[in-house]
Amino acid sequence: MTTPSKFDLPQGTLDLLILRVVALGPVHGYAIAQHIQMISKEALQIQQGSLYPALHRLENKGFLAAEWGPTETGREAKFYRLTAKGRTQLKTETESWERLTDVVAMILQHPLGEPS
Amino acid sequence: MNWFQRLSKTGRMEKELDAELRFHFETQVVDKIQAGLTEAEARRATRLEFGGLEQIKEDCRESRGTLWLVSIVQDLRFGARILAKSPGFSLTAIVVLALGIGVSTLAFSLYNIATLQFIPVRDPATVVRIQRRSPENITPSVPYASIAYYRDNAKSLSAVMATMSAAPMVLNQDEQRVSGTFVSSNYFGELGGSAAAGRLFDAALDDANSAPVCILSFRLWQRKFNGDASIVGKAVRLGGKPATVIGVASEAFATLGTDDPDLWLPLLQHSYFVEGSKSLTDPKFDGTILMWGRLAPGVSTSMAKQEMLSLTNQLRRLYPTEIWDREYIAVTPGAHFLSLEDGRPVLPLVGLLVLLILAIACANLGGLLMARGAGRQREIQLRFDLGARNLRIFRQLLTENLLLGLLGSIGAIPLSYCVLRLALVYSNAPSWMSAMPDWRVLLFTAAMGFVAALVFGLLPTLQLVRRKQNRSLWHQLVVCTQVGASSVLLILAGLLVRATLHTLYSDPGFDYEQVLSIDPGMSEHGFVPSSAKAYLDQLQNRLQSAPGVISVSMARNPPLVNRDVMITGISVGGRRIMIYPNWVGPQFFQTMHIPLLRGRYFRAGENNAVILSESLARKRWPTEDPIGKQWKNGKDLVVGIVGNTRAMELNNSDATEIYYPPNDDVLPDMSVLVRTAGDPNTLSPTIKSIATGIDPGLFPTLIPLTAGFRKNVSQVEQIATIVSLLGSIAIFLAVVGLLGLVSYSMSQRTKEIAIRLALGANRIEIITAVLRQFAWPVLIGLVAGVAITAGLSQILRRALYGISGLDPLSYMGAMAILIAILVLAASLPIRRAFQLDVARILHSD
Repeated sequence: MTTPSKFDLPQGTLDLLILRVVALGPVHGYAIAQHIQMISKEALQIQQGSLYPALHRLENKGFLAAEWGPTETGREAKFYRLTAKGRTQLKTETESWERLTDVVAMILQHPLGEPS
Repeated sequence: MNWFQRLSKTGRMEKELDAELRFHFETQVVDKIQAGLTEAEARRATRLEFGGLEQIKEDCRESRGTLWLVSIVQDLRFGARILAKSPGFSLTAIVVLALGIGVSTLAFSLYNIATLQFIPVRDPATVVRIQRRSPENITPSVPYASIAYYRDNAKSLSAVMATMSAAPMVLNQDEQRVSGTFVSSNYFGELGGSAAAGRLFDAALDDANSAPVCILSFRLWQRKFNGDASIVGKAVRLGGKPATVIGVASEAFATLGTDDPDLWLPLLQHSYFVEGSKSLTDPKFDGTILMWGRLAPGVSTSMAKQEMLSLTNQLRRLYPTEIWDREYIAVTPGAHFLSLEDGRPVLPLVGLLVLLILAIACANLGGLLMARGAGRQREIQLRFDLGARNLRIFRQLLTENLLLGLLGSIGAIPLSYCVLRLALVYSNAPSWMSAMPDWRVLLFTAAMGFVAALVFGLLPTLQLVRRKQNRSLWHQLVVCTQVGASSVLLILAGLLVRATLHTLYSDPGFDYEQVLSIDPGMSEHGFVPSSAKAYLDQLQNRLQSAPGVISVSMARNPPLVNRDVMITGISVGGRRIMIYPNWVGPQFFQTMHIPLLRGRYFRAGENNAVILSESLARKRWPTEDPIGKQWKNGKDLVVGIVGNTRAMELNNSDATEIYYPPNDDVLPDMSVLVRTAGDPNTLSPTIKSIATGIDPGLFPTLIPLTAGFRKNVSQVEQIATIVSLLGSIAIFLAVVGLLGLVSYSMSQRTKEIAIRLALGANRIEIITAVLRQFAWPVLIGLVAGVAITAGLSQILRRALYGISGLDPLSYMGAMAILIAILVLAASLPIRRAFQLDVARILHSD
């Protein structure tokens, strides 16, 4: 726990992010972390201690499948890809996330919601 | 990968997990080097970012969902190693548990065989027993006329069977009589029986003109005819009546109920074999014909019950006086050796005794675990210090206990098997009964081991995990349970042993030793009252003049050897008195040495007179003189009062008796009693030749009353032996347990004792202080034990043969034994305490 994340990710959000990144094509764990970090402009630091248990959880639930293969540098790495079940899961998770943020935003932006 | 693959490929998954994380690590290091760090710096930074590698791995493993099982396997392996490391403790615990569980497994196995297992007949689940019931009445039997009506009209039954046990019959000219059962012709077919030789009964026998036949049991065939198949088709004489043997039932054939006859006869030929019998034609017939049925496909017992009820209401129109008010028909599963109802009074008692043994064994286990827990304190502490969680250690210790429980159960099974095997062989059980444990027995045994380990392992384990030092409460609980349970078993054993002695050595109210009973079996051979009277008169006259005969008389129910016990009753002031009736000749009381207290004996040929036992007279007329009073309906006058006897049931000391002079109805059922000057057995050939000389068609049975007495006593002895055996197991367990406990608590306080001694304390005082903590639990245990036994003994009262359930001697005796054992258990460790080397102990640390 050397680099504390700038955000505390809400429960289950990491799974969604992982699914989203893996949906782009087969990718190994290190690349997933790099990807999220890059896209979020370093706002999110994914720690190994949460990344790998999440990957394994998603794999054991059948959302991800994994295969060993060579990377561009020639090393053997474990590549994850989305299964059909994972694709459905990503869709529903994304939709419910959007609904949630919409609702939260709606409430926060409502004029009556502001403290007087 | 599914769950099972994840479980089975743990090794590969571990390697992959390691490789995956290593890849991440190395890639990160390479990236950092590319960003300008030196390799050493890059590695250091990455390691810091990674944190605990093992923790990440453990979290990944958890997501597999197999961890719990893997860790249980680990726990078991570890537990087994720990148990193997202290074989003395483990062996003691396993033996103690195996004994405790074994006793309950044995009891459950018997229960299982008798009431849960199906007897091996065709399609046993649809065989039902059919009995008459009403709010006031219960009878096992159904009159044949009703059976026939149900058979012809019930649609819920695809078949109806009837069985009726016969009185022991004479086969050819043999001395030893054989037991027979009359059965309906479909009996063998419905039960799927097969023949070892010849054929079995079939529907052709329902023809009223069919020739008399019988079927031999495999056992009788072997015993009497050496398994010779040529007996089939030959004629035998049964009670003097010729019948053809048409077959032999196979050895495996299982009969319904507890009936286990030597041969079977067609029920429809009952009146041929038993002359003058009206069992099939008379709707009032109250002999015991049992009714069985087979449910039609898809019919449940409750549906059958409903239909039988409506049929019973139709029957009431045919036999208005015979069908009871609100009569209904009980339809119960029939293919069991015993029905649940049969064992009702005994079952809870046996269950309780068995649980007591188990409780003692469990308490022992608890004590052992606790004593050992003290020795493991350091080990447990070390594991806590290394970061183990409470729950993890608790689970580990519990797994150890369960392992012990399991091993105890495994030890219990062969133990119970051996005893059961012996018991089955010894009691001549039907051949289908097997001592082999089935799934129910195995499940029960495992459950018992589980419960024992859980209940009595829980508290010591909790204390161990919580690292508490004070265990005295648990100590006291263990002692209390042991003392209480042991005292119940000891007192019960004492009561039963005393009851046996009482039956053997107390005066039954009559003198049976030189009396011989002769049952001519007249009614079975169709004697009517006039021919019976002629025979009886002649027999008594001839016997009277035989040398060595002191006196001769007759009785309907000869004491001790009567086949069935008759009971009648009267109401006095609203309370019902149960009375044993008997019909006796004038010389009966002199022959039996029953003292005449008031009035006179019967006169020859006298009618309308009764003689009462003293107990009955006192109950009926507590304050008045009963002589000359009218009995019941006013026809019979009381002419005499005689001493009380326990002639009918030796176990009933409150028995009351009434004696009638023989009337015509009972004459064919009379037995003759002969008092001889010497050993009655030496006279029996003479007496036998006299008895057969009068009518060669009869086959009289001669039994000395001493034989009947022995048979009565042996039943009580058996019960007393079993309970004494349980009592000795209890004592054994209690000694082991208490000895261990006291030694343990002394050893815990060795240093304290040594210090006190060094300071000049009196040794006796110290010992008292140590033992005082056990005083209360022992006292509470004793009181609880006495209370439970006093309650229980009310159930046992009838088996207690004249001993009150509160017999002080048994209670005191049991207490004395128990206290002696407690003192012994305490004294051994105390002796050790006296030999303490104070200086060495105080120097030891």
